[in-house]
Amino acid sequence: MSDPGEALLRLDNINSFYGPVQVHFDLSLSVQAGQIVCLLGGNASGKSTTMKTILGLQRPRSGTVFFEGQPLTGLTTPQIIRRGIGSVPEARRLFGQMTVRENLLMGAYTRSDKPAIAQDEERVLTLFPRLRERLKQRAGTMSGGEQQMLAMARALMGRPKLICMDEPTMGLSPLFVDRVLELIQAINKEGVTIFMVEQNASLALGIAHYGYVLQTGHIALEGPADELLRDPRIRDAYLGGAAAA
Amino acid sequence: MNMPGLGAWFDYTVNGIVIGNIYAMLAVGLALIYGVANLVNFAHGSVYVVGAYVGWAAITYLGTPLPVTILCVVVVCGLVGVGIERLGLRPLHGSSRIAPLLATIGIALVLDQVVQLIFSPDPRAVPMQVPEWRIPIGGGTIGPLDLLIGGIGLASAAVLYGFLRFTKLGWAVRATAQDSDAAQQMGVDINKVNMAVFAIASALSGISGLLVGMYYNQINPAMSFEATLKGIVALIIGGLGNVPGAIGGSLILGLTESYGIALFGTSYRNLFAFVLLIAMLLWRPNGLFSGRSSLPPEPMTGTFIARSRPFRIPPWAVAGLIVAAALLPLLNNPYVLQIGVNSLLYGMLALSLTLVAGTVGQISLGHAALLAIGGYTSGLLAMDAGWPVAVTIPIAGIVTAGLGTLLVFPAFRLTGHYVSIATLGIGEIVSLVILNWSGLTHGAIGLGGIPPLEVFGYDLGSVEGTYWLCLVILVLLALLQLRLLSSHLGRSWRAIRDDSVAARSYGVSGNRYKALAFGFGGFGAGISGAITAHSYSYINHETFNATLSVLALTMVILGGLGNVMGAVLGATLLIALPEAFRGLAEYRILIYGLVLLLLIRFRPQGLMGTV
Repeated sequence: MSDPGEALLRLDNINSFYGPVQVHFDLSLSVQAGQIVCLLGGNASGKSTTMKTILGLQRPRSGTVFFEGQPLTGLTTPQIIRRGIGSVPEARRLFGQMTVRENLLMGAYTRSDKPAIAQDEERVLTLFPRLRERLKQRAGTMSGGEQQMLAMARALMGRPKLICMDEPTMGLSPLFVDRVLELIQAINKEGVTIFMVEQNASLALGIAHYGYVLQTGHIALEGPADELLRDPRIRDAYLGGAAAA
Repeated sequence: MNMPGLGAWFDYTVNGIVIGNIYAMLAVGLALIYGVANLVNFAHGSVYVVGAYVGWAAITYLGTPLPVTILCVVVVCGLVGVGIERLGLRPLHGSSRIAPLLATIGIALVLDQVVQLIFSPDPRAVPMQVPEWRIPIGGGTIGPLDLLIGGIGLASAAVLYGFLRFTKLGWAVRATAQDSDAAQQMGVDINKVNMAVFAIASALSGISGLLVGMYYNQINPAMSFEATLKGIVALIIGGLGNVPGAIGGSLILGLTESYGIALFGTSYRNLFAFVLLIAMLLWRPNGLFSGRSSLPPEPMTGTFIARSRPFRIPPWAVAGLIVAAALLPLLNNPYVLQIGVNSLLYGMLALSLTLVAGTVGQISLGHAALLAIGGYTSGLLAMDAGWPVAVTIPIAGIVTAGLGTLLVFPAFRLTGHYVSIATLGIGEIVSLVILNWSGLTHGAIGLGGIPPLEVFGYDLGSVEGTYWLCLVILVLLALLQLRLLSSHLGRSWRAIRDDSVAARSYGVSGNRYKALAFGFGGFGAGISGAITAHSYSYINHETFNATLSVLALTMVILGGLGNVMGAVLGATLLIALPEAFRGLAEYRILIYGLVLLLLIRFRPQGLMGTV
């Protein structure tokens, strides 16, 4: 077991490359259990690569990812998922030809406890009532907002300790953005830790406990979310500066 | 064309559906594999042959009843499938998409040869295991075998549907086919999924082989290539990766062939299949059942260029090699010299292919058809028109350049896998047209008594004469190709290969440059085919077959794709080395297959490096 002071997820001095281009320069960050932590950054700042590194889809040249104090080095993505990490990928990546229900059950792929899976399905459908109406519908035929909900519900079905979300509000209508943010908070209240990557700083910091700002592969700024929201540098860079004030 | 009666039509329909069923069991597996692994498995027909022979052996030696026979076939072929996944796919994860395709070609060569070594190349009769009655219906008849094949086809489809729909592994297969990254993020082990899919697909393919053996009451190792091709045609009709589409495509193919035979005769059967293939690739590359008419972009297009620094041979050494080669006849050993002639002729073919496949990135699997066009052009002009050989050979080069380019021109908008499949189909069509156009090509009899080589009265029919002629032509072609590669034209070719979109946006029109490459390549290959025809004095539609195309590709990869010296070296090694171990003659194809497999796995840049 991990010692009590240990973060749930910790990235330690990650250096990663995309072809010949270095993406991360000694990137370190940690996510405390029970929190919502967001990683902010513009295009090409290395946000998505961070997600891929955590999930084992891309290997760093040096540095280590720790989950519950254990290094994830050398594990494949499925093995990492089995440790208790759920993923809501960028652009959702649902199985569009499969039904909503089949997508949910794919989320529980690593589990074999059938009664508990049925229970969780019920729990998730209570949290996302919209999906209950559409259980037999093909996932690809739903609206963007509904798909985002399904992607989150699918991740929950694996009973993860941590869910990694890659730009969960991207491409959604303002109405759905608020709904998705509420749901993220609701999931977090059930005891699931959230690590999310976002471009939209004000929205993400509005629900997060702690935030990191990634700039060209470095952590430029970090702190509790409410402090970051007041930080003039954040306001200038991400919230439209004086105009927003 | 004579119209059969109504009862006969019924029989042709039943026959078409039965054949369609057999194709379906091949094509469904290909679709599953394409779905999860993005790979057209060229070893699929070889597994089908393994299935046929395992079934034959079980019935003949063990006297197994049909259900047990099927079980044997399923188990053995399933294991072969697992092996193909472990050897041909998994180790190549992360390399370009064409690499596993080439690996499955290597595996196909190996499997075919192993079957041939174990069971001999002679055809075998599969003992009948069903009664011989037939039910008359509407003027035609249906026999128990028709019903059995239909039943097994339906049962397999039902089992497969149940597996994909109701089992966890089945969901994982479908999820992987739709988005393998996302499936991994759900905890799906892609390797396990691939292995399961290869096992299932191979088991189905094996059953298909067994059923064919029972239906035609005959099996032979050579039927693997046709099975692979037919499966691919059905797959393309249904749409790559579309499992229900593959079943539909197979039935359409089976009926087309059967009605084609009814109207035009047996020898047109395959011609119909391949014309259907090319038509689909041109007009409906996503299959009949897809709404889209344009192809989805392939993330990494068909190039197989491993980054490497080409090995440079200084000009004096090249000159030395040429002089040494020119002095070879002084050894006065006709046997060695004949190997030299073969190496030079293959060298011309390899030069041509290394330009098309290496420099321009169009992995052609039908290059032997260019030899056939050249050989027939020169042979027919010399025999039937009575023109002097010195004139017919260059004309053969020009005709091949033009005709070859014209034939592949419609395929220029395809990329990656589709190029390989289209060129393979075009190659088969050329061979079938030669077979069926008897008025021009002498049909199945072939060309006999082609006049020997002679230039302006000088007889070059001796081995020495042929050797010197080939050497001069090869050196000239190689120098010309080197010159072209270092010119603006060469840069444009490589630009198209490396990034066709970027090349187009810089104003390089892909089609025109591809046409130039196929034209120049066709010229060299046509001359090689022509000289071959005159020195063999007999050729037929099978002289330049698909195995030869694969051999040429292996030579080119061995030398290093795009590398001129490499092409010549690759040809020389693959022709001369098996001769050095003459005891291994019957293992020759096995060696070629292994060389191809090992190269793709361990040295994709070849001996001399890619350019």
